Amino acid sequence: MSAITALKAPRRRGNTGIALSRRAGMVFVLPALILFAVFIAYPLFTALSYSFFGWTGILRGDFVGIENYVTLFTKLPYSEDIPNAFVHNILLFFGAMVFQNTVGLGLATLLHRLTRFKRFFQTMYTLPYLVSPLVIGYLWSLMLSPLFGPVNAVLRGIGLGELAQPWLGNPQTAIWVVVLVTAWQWIGFPVLLYGAALGGIPEEIDEAASLDGASAWQRFRSITLPMLVPAIGTVSVLTFIGAMEAFPIPYALGGSQGNPAGATDVLSLLFYRTAFESGSSNAIGTSSAIATLLFLFIFGISMLITMLLRRAERKLF
Amino acid sequence: MMRRRILTAAALLTGSALLLSACAPSASSGDEQASGDAVTLKVWSWRTEDVEAYNKIFDVFEKEHPNITVEFEAFQNTEYNQILTTGLAGSDGPDVPMVRAYGQLQPNIEAGQLEPIDGKVDGLDGIAPSVIAGAKGKADGKTYAVPLATQTLQMFYNKQIFEEQGLEVPTTWDEFIDVQEKLLAAGITPMALGAKDDWILPIFADIVGSARYGGSEFEEQVLSGETDFNDPDYVASLGIITEMEKYLTPDVVGVSYTDSQIQFSSGQAAQFPGGSFEIATFRNQAPDLEFGSYQVPVPDDAVLDAPVSPAYADGNFAINSKSTHQDEAVELLNWLATPEFGQLVADELNQFSAIPGVEYEDAAMQEAWSNYEDGQAPYLLLVDFRYGEPLGTAVLGQQVQKMFLGETDAAGAAAALQTGISQWFVPGE
Repeated sequence: MSAITALKAPRRRGNTGIALSRRAGMVFVLPALILFAVFIAYPLFTALSYSFFGWTGILRGDFVGIENYVTLFTKLPYSEDIPNAFVHNILLFFGAMVFQNTVGLGLATLLHRLTRFKRFFQTMYTLPYLVSPLVIGYLWSLMLSPLFGPVNAVLRGIGLGELAQPWLGNPQTAIWVVVLVTAWQWIGFPVLLYGAALGGIPEEIDEAASLDGASAWQRFRSITLPMLVPAIGTVSVLTFIGAMEAFPIPYALGGSQGNPAGATDVLSLLFYRTAFESGSSNAIGTSSAIATLLFLFIFGISMLITMLLRRAERKLF
Repeated sequence: MMRRRILTAAALLTGSALLLSACAPSASSGDEQASGDAVTLKVWSWRTEDVEAYNKIFDVFEKEHPNITVEFEAFQNTEYNQILTTGLAGSDGPDVPMVRAYGQLQPNIEAGQLEPIDGKVDGLDGIAPSVIAGAKGKADGKTYAVPLATQTLQMFYNKQIFEEQGLEVPTTWDEFIDVQEKLLAAGITPMALGAKDDWILPIFADIVGSARYGGSEFEEQVLSGETDFNDPDYVASLGIITEMEKYLTPDVVGVSYTDSQIQFSSGQAAQFPGGSFEIATFRNQAPDLEFGSYQVPVPDDAVLDAPVSPAYADGNFAINSKSTHQDEAVELLNWLATPEFGQLVADELNQFSAIPGVEYEDAAMQEAWSNYEDGQAPYLLLVDFRYGEPLGTAVLGQQVQKMFLGETDAAGAAAALQTGISQWFVPGE
């Protein structure tokens, strides 16, 4: 596809025969490279190096090798908190994936057929995505309050009083509230992305198939869905990264400890607690180890998903 | 060729311009080195809401010490630790920073950023031991700061509701239970507690249970290793929490801390177990609310024979070891340890001063303070068990939630607390 666009693209007007030398090109790249190095690469590598040292407050102690990492898996509270938080991150990912690829894709398909109010609905669905997740989390915690919250009041009002629950106070429901609120907030993103991808599918193919007698479901299954694979891939990777890094919504709904009783704990909250709220003088060492592990995991799995999807795409086209 | 050079030069220029602007120092304060004897002390704090009050307070100091000018600067509370860490590490930091207490103070001390003040500052002897402990280094036992404020923990009650129901402040355990039962029978939630927020729960545990397990007596024993949290007295004190559950909102673990504040200040609950820091909140939320406070009476079999208010220090003033004005900083700290400053803390900041002999204008404050002076105890988990990971308060908070959810009992919670703090706590050290 990119080859076609490149051919169609008009020749660059400024192309008067001067080709930049490699050196001059590098000089132009330099500002961006410096910014990247200072603000992204440097902190990344400092965190990595910090995690191999013992710390006393902000004084760096001796090189301790992988001791900080061993601590994470062998010592309380980390040895209990990490698996607990990790499971919640995974739940968040799968919850969001299921929600986005069913409801999100469904909404995008419906909106695609719509001629009037399409923009209006797109904007409506995207609105929560534009509000700070911290605010979203706070608003939902107000709505779900067992004392003053409208959710339980409405349930009681329409005779479903048995369903009224301390949603955020019950460990069984609290994590699902986090999953659903996160998915609810992100719904605008797949709607937009799938909407754009649907718009990019040539109508001729669909028409030809329907002339050949393919049912609507067959057309969706064999034409639309395969053509959406790149978009699904993008949504999956970004959802994965978002779910692993989730912080504001769990924080607003369950506080830094993942209340109640650790039921809404996620890895970023654990990092936050270790780095900023712990009384341990080696906070920098342990929290850097958590950050490094989290980064490696997100990076590795994202690469894996991308690779698998590329392979799937190649098979399709 | 010529063009290419111009291009290269242009690119270099843009690049270096970017770099230069990134490196430009932010407005520096170059005028701090004053001429003659006049010295400016930089004081940092996280109390952005108190800037005006502090300026008033330091005006008093400046009048008495004409050679010293105090420059008070406040930063966002949530970012203060980072800002202070950077400030103390560099050369442009404060002379006298406000620092955290107990465990959170240790990183600054261990990094050698603060100056010990033993023997330099007078007036520290009168401060309660559990409060001055918040200004000490855990490892070396030296004092590094002057405590600013004390927070006391007690039971607040709505005077109007008590009057309407014909209730009196309970002085015995039976009376205490009787009050709760009568409120329950009258259809009023006896106590508002936001158990969804784990940090309030160890506070609740100490308000109802400190006297039961023995307050400072138990503190001494547990620190020396004579006993631990599996002690039957401590387990029994946690058992009181289960006993109290029926007097709290149903499904209490779903109630947030802010909800519980509104519950009390709007008169939907008759009592609120909380810290003295609530007084200002209640005054703001409901100016007409008439409330008082009492110490929860001593239950049967309690170790102590009189009720107590658990308390802890909140904030300290220390001296930056890199400050070039050590003598003046000591002079300021000496003043911060006087009853004169203590009274200003009470009048201007509406806080309990750590310095004894201060009078409080607010009736609710004066009442809570008199109660505290009659019976003191440490807020044990904050005062002694926040020096390592996991924090004692965090472990117990979560365990009490599990007790409310029926996932554990008092003995299980106590055992989990002991296991948690054993990760870093070694008795007798």
